[in-house]
Amino acid sequence: MNARAVLATAPEIRANPLREESVTLKAADPCTFVVFGASGDLTHRKLIPALFRLSKQKLLHPQTAIVGFARREWTNEQFREEMKHAVESAGASPSEWERFAGALFYQSGVFEDHAAFRALGQLLSKVEEERGVPGNRIFHFATPPSEYATLVRNIGAAGLARRALRDDHAVPWSRVIIEKPFGRDLQSARELNALVHTVFAERQVYRIDHYLGKETVQNILVMRFSNGIFEPIWNRQYVDHVQITVAETIGVEERAGYYEQAGAMRDIVQNHLLQLLALVSMEPPAAFDDKAVRDEKVKVMRALRRIAGEDLSMNAVRGQYTRGFIEGTPVPGYREEPGVAADSRTDTYVALKLWVDNWRWEGIPFYVRTGKRLPKQSTEIAIQFRAAPHQLFSRDALAGLEPNALVLRIQPDEGISLRFGAKVPVQGIRIRAVNMDFDYGASFMVDAPDAYETLILDALRGDATLFTRHDEVDQQWAFVDPIIKGWASSDSAEGPALYEAGTWGPTEADALIERDGRKWRKA
Amino acid sequence: MAEGVVIDTTFWGTRQSGVAALERELTRLRRAQSAHARELGRPIARASVLNLIVYADREEHARRAARSIADLALRHPSRAIVVLADRGARDGTQKRIEMHCRLPIADGARLVCYEQILVRARGDADDRLASAVIPLLVPDLPVFLWWTGTPPLGSRSFGDLLRLTDRLVVDSADFARPEATLPVIARISDEARGRFGLTDLNWTRLTPWREIATAFFDVPAWRLFLDGVTGVSVGFAVDMDGRDIHPSQALLFVGWLASRLGWRPLEALAPSEAGGLLFAIARPDGARIMVRVRPRFERGLDEGDVSGIRIKATAARQLAEFAVKRQPDPRHQTATVLLDGERRWERTMPLPSPAIVELIGEELSILGSDRTYEAALGALVELA
Repeated sequence: MNARAVLATAPEIRANPLREESVTLKAADPCTFVVFGASGDLTHRKLIPALFRLSKQKLLHPQTAIVGFARREWTNEQFREEMKHAVESAGASPSEWERFAGALFYQSGVFEDHAAFRALGQLLSKVEEERGVPGNRIFHFATPPSEYATLVRNIGAAGLARRALRDDHAVPWSRVIIEKPFGRDLQSARELNALVHTVFAERQVYRIDHYLGKETVQNILVMRFSNGIFEPIWNRQYVDHVQITVAETIGVEERAGYYEQAGAMRDIVQNHLLQLLALVSMEPPAAFDDKAVRDEKVKVMRALRRIAGEDLSMNAVRGQYTRGFIEGTPVPGYREEPGVAADSRTDTYVALKLWVDNWRWEGIPFYVRTGKRLPKQSTEIAIQFRAAPHQLFSRDALAGLEPNALVLRIQPDEGISLRFGAKVPVQGIRIRAVNMDFDYGASFMVDAPDAYETLILDALRGDATLFTRHDEVDQQWAFVDPIIKGWASSDSAEGPALYEAGTWGPTEADALIERDGRKWRKA
Repeated sequence: MAEGVVIDTTFWGTRQSGVAALERELTRLRRAQSAHARELGRPIARASVLNLIVYADREEHARRAARSIADLALRHPSRAIVVLADRGARDGTQKRIEMHCRLPIADGARLVCYEQILVRARGDADDRLASAVIPLLVPDLPVFLWWTGTPPLGSRSFGDLLRLTDRLVVDSADFARPEATLPVIARISDEARGRFGLTDLNWTRLTPWREIATAFFDVPAWRLFLDGVTGVSVGFAVDMDGRDIHPSQALLFVGWLASRLGWRPLEALAPSEAGGLLFAIARPDGARIMVRVRPRFERGLDEGDVSGIRIKATAARQLAEFAVKRQPDPRHQTATVLLDGERRWERTMPLPSPAIVELIGEELSILGSDRTYEAALGALVELA
């Protein structure tokens, strides 16, 4: 049998048998990483440092090229010089930087300009030929969401991407990474999706929600499904309620233009918060792969009860910060921020009471809240368990007891803690809630990789588990839309409740949970 | 001195540029300690059972409190946030909040470490102080607020901190004008009901006196006298020149008796000889009880500590006197019962005089509120 015959009959792609079950990661294929919005903040702060660290750890294929595209009229050299600042914090040695810089290229152009995309196409071909990249391309949209549609159309028109057919392993591949928010309501998300699908098949689309790249978020699944002791009590029999908090100390910063249109509901709830909710409430997937995991997430999102009409005021609170203090420093109110309307009704805080209508969670409320200018930065999920059925101890002894809680701290201070009652070491019985803590930093002694690093590597390796599928986005908007519409329609009546910067949100949010005889946790 | 006190960084740790930087530094310190402990084969635990906020407005008080907490770290490993409000800084000092942190080793064996944070407010930072403390609290753990000095009702930072607190610890021995402050404390206690517990270290100091006074009436034959009290006299220690008068502890004793026995006010508190107080209250049957609270100079006592109590009563046509006196040593007290002037019973027993560390250590193990104290305080306020 000659060589040609072997090629002809061989399976199209044979997995490298040496890689199988290997302890090391599947190596990323050589590819060209195209960044749209290469002069922007996200590229500086996140993408380039993440790519650089991956290169430093030799997780990028050495032939990989990175091509920036933006309006700025830079040369390759100027682009490299700019990006050098971006990686300074990542600790670049001269030789590492030289190697990395050699892979950076730049094409200037306006997103609306077809000619610029043709020029980009020529640059890509040239770079691919020089560096021996087989034509794999990944397009990262690090631009304002308003540009996504234009980018997709022009990538399509210029024939830069190759649409995948049935064969998953087709080489060369094209992929697109799209930042959140994907759309601004259900309809626009669907429209954008339809447009994206004219150029890319769904399995080529990587909708990024950087929360999912966080080590501790991935650990939610690991904790739930690799341990025998949690899942049996992870249901309505044992859980009293669940609280999810995404608290930020920062204000609107320079993003007023975007934020005025979005508000906390679109900025955080629609994506990060609902993702956390899905991970904590979903059923066990049959496998840890992109299809099984995302199928389960979509399933639980479908079970999420919609809040609309009369339910709105009882189950949803929106707030807006006024001037106050953060860590002892005075900060302006939202309406005083540059770029914000003096009578803005944008929500900078949202608290919701949610129900997951399925067998596991029937009747168990999920209280979620997010806000800007809260007293501390903190993202956590707390599972509060039911109290012991019968209390043996006197009321005085129990004064310090609180119900058992399992808290997953996403950031900062990543870790898990379990709260339970213990006897205070004195004569007689006094009971106090104590915490058993697992602290990532002290247990593993290394810093967890940055979320972008994880996600970019996953996208390079073709693993979409930690990205949001189109039907997930659909469900998220389908949940969020009626609330936003409800608020918009009652706009004339009452705007968001005001809360002072540096406090834990408006009193209406306290009332939301206290009506049920519960309290927000001290996060 | 416009810059106020210079912070001793070997004691308080290095200055950090904000909460995030401070938490990073603590993580780094913890990591360094665990690495070191692992080398020695001794694991180190990050133990934390409570948040303790200490408010002080003088560096020396802040430092003393920090040392007490260090002594307590084994029993109550905590995150200790010492707030030093440097109001002394002149007007015009830029309002500023600085933070320092350290991870002192609580015991020689390097088993437990606790976290010590200094939040130092310069200038009048009342409006923003709490915003610097809240993000430092360890989630989920009970919060104790130990306020040294007189709690300033109406101060923004006090109110803000109180809202987070599970138990407020004060020491009425420190109150400059107890007759003005104790009612304030009573009001806080009223508002606190169900939200947080309140405790007074001075009340804890009073415990042995309350116990012995209670013990008198465990004898059934003498219990009758409780309905026939005619006079109460409580002595408290002052220094030699009698300048600083701190009658809180003595007053709490009276308040306690009144609350337990249902006595009601008759004549308002009136000053008497040398800073003492003389007033009349009514028994449930309407009879008059003369109450005298008087300062005594006694060596070896802390100012304000009760030095002796005397309860006079009649029942069944007998005149009884129940007295407890501190011995000159002053680690013992002698309890005496006289019936119609005749000594019927006498016993000398040790009188514990716990240091602040022990008092606070005891308080940190309780979370609920102390109803007896609240009642005593309430009765006292009515009398005043």
